[in-house]
Amino acid sequence: MAQKYRLGIDAGGTFTDFILSKPDGDVQIFKVLSTPHEPTEAIKNGLAEIEARAGVTATELVSQSDLCINGTTVGLNALITHNGAKTGLICTRGHEDSIEIRLGHKEDGYRYDPHYPPAVMLSPRYLRKGVDERVISTGEVRIPMNEDDVRAACELFKKEAVESVVVSFVWSVLHPEHEQRAAEIVREMLPDVHLTVGSKLYPQVREYTRTSTALVNAYLAPILQKYVGAIDAYFQSLGADKPVRFFQSNGGLALGSTVAEQAVYAINSGPASAPQAATFIAEPWKDENIITIDMGGTSFDITLAHEGKANLNKNIDFLRYRIGIPMIQVETLGAGGGSIGWIDQMGLLQMGPQSAGSEPGPACYGKGGELPTTTDANLVLGYLSPKGLVGGRLELDQDKASNAIKSKIADPLDLTLERAAYGMFTIVNNNMVNGIRRVSVERGYDPRDFVLMGAGGATGAHITALANEIGINRILISKLASGLCAYGQIISDVKYNFMAPAPYRLDSENVANKLQGLFDGLEHKGNDQLAKDGFTEKDIHITRTLDMRYTGQVHECTVEVDAFDITAESLKSLEEAFHARHEELYMYSERHSAIEVVNVESTIIGKIDRPERMKQAKGSGADSAKTGTRQVVFSSDGARIETPIYDGSKLGAGDHIEGPAVLEEETTTIVLDPQWKLTLSDSAVYELVKKN
Amino acid sequence: MSYSGKDIDPITLSVVRGVLETTQREMTLTLEKTARSSVFNLAHDYSTALFNHEPEMILQGQDIPIHLGSLIPAMKAVDKFFEGQISEGDLVLHNDPDYAGSHIIDTCMYYPVFYKGELVFWTVCKGHLTDIGGPVPAGYNPAATEIYAEGLRIPPIKIWDKGVPRDDILNMLFTNMRARRDQEGDFNALIGACKVGARNLIGLLDKYGKEVVQDCIDELLAMAENHMRSMIKQVPDGTYNGMAILEDAGHGFGDMEITAEVTIKDDNCHIKIDSPPQIPYFINSYEGNSYSGVYLGLMMFAQLPPPYNEGLYRCISVDMGEKGTLCNAKSPAPHANCTTTPMETLTDAVRLAFEKAAPDKVSASWGHANGCNIAGWDTRHDEEYVTMVLASIISGAGATAEQDGWHAVGPECCFGALTSGDIEMLEYSYPIIIHRYSLMEDSGGAGKFRGGSGTCWEVEPLDKPMTMITFGEGRRIPAMGAGGAKSEFVEAKVGRLRITRDGEETIIKENVIEQILPGQKAANMNPGGGGFGNPFERDIDRILQDIKNGLVSKKGAELDYGVVFSDFDNLQVDADATQALRAKHV
Repeated sequence: MAQKYRLGIDAGGTFTDFILSKPDGDVQIFKVLSTPHEPTEAIKNGLAEIEARAGVTATELVSQSDLCINGTTVGLNALITHNGAKTGLICTRGHEDSIEIRLGHKEDGYRYDPHYPPAVMLSPRYLRKGVDERVISTGEVRIPMNEDDVRAACELFKKEAVESVVVSFVWSVLHPEHEQRAAEIVREMLPDVHLTVGSKLYPQVREYTRTSTALVNAYLAPILQKYVGAIDAYFQSLGADKPVRFFQSNGGLALGSTVAEQAVYAINSGPASAPQAATFIAEPWKDENIITIDMGGTSFDITLAHEGKANLNKNIDFLRYRIGIPMIQVETLGAGGGSIGWIDQMGLLQMGPQSAGSEPGPACYGKGGELPTTTDANLVLGYLSPKGLVGGRLELDQDKASNAIKSKIADPLDLTLERAAYGMFTIVNNNMVNGIRRVSVERGYDPRDFVLMGAGGATGAHITALANEIGINRILISKLASGLCAYGQIISDVKYNFMAPAPYRLDSENVANKLQGLFDGLEHKGNDQLAKDGFTEKDIHITRTLDMRYTGQVHECTVEVDAFDITAESLKSLEEAFHARHEELYMYSERHSAIEVVNVESTIIGKIDRPERMKQAKGSGADSAKTGTRQVVFSSDGARIETPIYDGSKLGAGDHIEGPAVLEEETTTIVLDPQWKLTLSDSAVYELVKKN
Repeated sequence: MSYSGKDIDPITLSVVRGVLETTQREMTLTLEKTARSSVFNLAHDYSTALFNHEPEMILQGQDIPIHLGSLIPAMKAVDKFFEGQISEGDLVLHNDPDYAGSHIIDTCMYYPVFYKGELVFWTVCKGHLTDIGGPVPAGYNPAATEIYAEGLRIPPIKIWDKGVPRDDILNMLFTNMRARRDQEGDFNALIGACKVGARNLIGLLDKYGKEVVQDCIDELLAMAENHMRSMIKQVPDGTYNGMAILEDAGHGFGDMEITAEVTIKDDNCHIKIDSPPQIPYFINSYEGNSYSGVYLGLMMFAQLPPPYNEGLYRCISVDMGEKGTLCNAKSPAPHANCTTTPMETLTDAVRLAFEKAAPDKVSASWGHANGCNIAGWDTRHDEEYVTMVLASIISGAGATAEQDGWHAVGPECCFGALTSGDIEMLEYSYPIIIHRYSLMEDSGGAGKFRGGSGTCWEVEPLDKPMTMITFGEGRRIPAMGAGGAKSEFVEAKVGRLRITRDGEETIIKENVIEQILPGQKAANMNPGGGGFGNPFERDIDRILQDIKNGLVSKKGAELDYGVVFSDFDNLQVDADATQALRAKHV
């Protein structure tokens, strides 16, 4: 199914990135301003930019491209601003409030805070209607469903002009018939509303998670539907004969029609393609354990791939809403170039999470910002060129940076300017290291077994210092780092998750057959769906996960396995995989205890051919790329060292630089501290290695 | 500049703080994810803390507040008991209130962290087990007149000796507990958490060296001290009294008064507690536990953000009153209910004294705990079950001077740190059917800012009789408002148990042990939080919104908020009549 071009479009909050891969292996990045109110506008502008700079017309491009789009901000913004659809819930009587009770918990960090508000309800209480019906934990029907209750709810929804409806009952995963019948009534009475059915969207045990996931989906689906429709129509008007694929937060692509139905899968897809891109970029080094860090203006995203597979999260709170479906684990911190340094009530230096954003921005932007930020510290330390960012298009004011740091940090803490700036740099790095621990140590991985991958424009200034702090001794930074996520999309596969509840003990009778039967059923559905997308069997790949625990535990460890036949013998390897995972995570296992499965899932992947890898022409030595020197700080005593500066665009494959050095590119700066050295590879990736 | 007088690098200081917080977080995560009992893994009824060699608490987690104050004296008691006899690889277990434990069902582990042969830290966790032996499942025995009738008292003992588990001792303990498999699993979870903490702390020492780390910790303690002192300094000097009434929850000893006298002098604060003599009923609190109640009242007022450590309390002195009283009980007083009753009343008394000192700063009281434990036989697995049901104690939060109280995050003693657990998970773990878990109309205390709604938890046993043991109070006296808040429609705002047998409802407002048969239902209802400010000043639109959402009824709107309707069904308010009625109360 290969096409001549492959075009990835990543609609971010500020910029929409376009990444174009050509048949000769050349890959180009284009950036235009995002147009959140009319997303096709930015796409139009981007295509014009491509025509101007690459000489390919929009029609030529679209008719010969595989198209991959990331609609991340559409759903995300609706959830952040609470501008989703008017949503009603039909649920088991007595359980109308589970999504407002939220397990009775107030988030940590706000224990005594009198101002912290409760989460906004996606469906207000008067639109949450209970019906008489009840299935119990054994799967038996205790109370049959009263259809009149469902009809009464529909009447109310009609009167209230509800746009989206959820049907979610207790234990519906063990007996979906009640939900299915209620859904029929809703379709019949409210043919125009969007409908989400709990056990269909997320067939897993846990009522609160399932209902909440369904509500988020219902709240966003009409919006995604509109967005996907507009995009598809626009590209069809340009002559696209293949459907556009959209990127999902599970790390794979899906057709627009699926994304519109399963909007919750599109929710945080922006950074979710990073592990994919990282794995591809690291392939020439055979690295499969990769932590990717992406630092932008206000936030810092961390993702992790272990043995080539990305960390997945299930059943987490995202923007204060519980979401069950598997999402690539993205740890997002309020730590970016704009993060503000301040001294807290206790007198401790802190960085962020408040950010100066791009308006007024860091003090050194000279746009009226007076608070010291990470970027100001980096400028004072000599990491950034005073000539500015983005190839000189944004000038930086060294005096304003110094003054802000001096008055707000250095003087109150009685430190020199350099020590204060280095302190800010250290604290922001420390915040990032704690975030990296959350995706690694808390998931049972030792970060020292990983290579660090840089993404985003601001990461390069921090990356060697971060690696020092975590104990990582190799770093990779692609020349495409500033558009890494868009790049990740064009090398991603189509991916769907199919789930089923499986409450079986591994020592119970016939369990191997039951599990195999469940997986067969899921994978049959998955193969069918991919066949409709045009995939043939040889391009389809399946992985399985089982949520397992010791009998009596309530939280599961997710164990990932390949799709082998489950028999009484191979069951042993499942058990072993679980014990090992428990031990990795919690420092003990209980080999004598019985194990049970709770939920299972098959991930069905439709493989797409990869585009050609980027090629870098051979260089003639780094000396020719040297542009001068600066006085740069690399230690907490604030001492300045004369440090050579290099122009990255003049380096070629094989060129080598020893730290200390600063390497400048148009959209990024790499600071090589004295303990590091760097080589540019023939696939246009900087490899940084710690000396000795 | 440093508060401890030591030469501190401010940057290293911030890093050390971050590592301590991450360490505590990873310990808590281990407990949550691996524990067996629903009280741990669904409800998060556990707490973790780090101590230095002194031992001073150097980091208090953001877990259950009612556990944390008492860990300070408990750690000191354990340290004193084993003075000079702690070796690398030891692990100490303890629950007894004579050694500053809270109630014996809360079981603590203390793991000494050695570095280069020297004791440097302790990693400590406490968790509420589902059973601790004794005559009544789950440890709450309303009939107990002595602590011996409540369960197993465990003074500080080593369950590991130089790295070797003392299996004989462990076997003796488990043999005395119900649902042994769960108890063994929960011990493993506590041990795992202690080890995870130790691993991280050793990493920190490796990186910076012992002296730098200790200096930073001393500075963090001194900073917390300074933080609290600056806050206390803003309170006008003087002596302030708070008195709260503890209702008779069925013991027959009548209502009791608990008084807190708070004296502020410059940046010091002395809190003197006065409570009646202890009684032969399970609501006596030993001194260690009472510290938690006093500190919670203080923190409700101080409203300080994290990090928390023992430095916060250096300028606070507490006199818990005479030995042998309700809040300073002595052996053999029964005490199983003490973490909620009388602690929440003690917390209220302290909070109220601070309200008098600085009326604008306080929050209203949260709903008190009034919950149940259940036990019986699970025919699905042919085994016994027993548990405290934390989903049955979820009450409303108090309103603050800025906003309505949160729904369903109480009780006060847990302050939002609990989680009640997914109902499917509860039904999977225990043979029960939860018919209702919902907010309750008119349960939030009236006020310019309304208290949060309490919850109703209604259960039916699956196929065998179930024993239900209730505890707590707050079934007659509603959560106390602040800033002039007052409720008229009180009966909707208090807790109660409603049992439905053959269509007949019985309301019970005392602590009881009841048998519930299949086909019968028991609904445990929890109070809402107190309101803040005069309810007759509450915005009419917000009241109408509450009515639309079923949180306030017509009766509630009329009685509590002075709203007169011209047409209730269409939510039409008679503006003139309302204004006239309200004017009388403003």
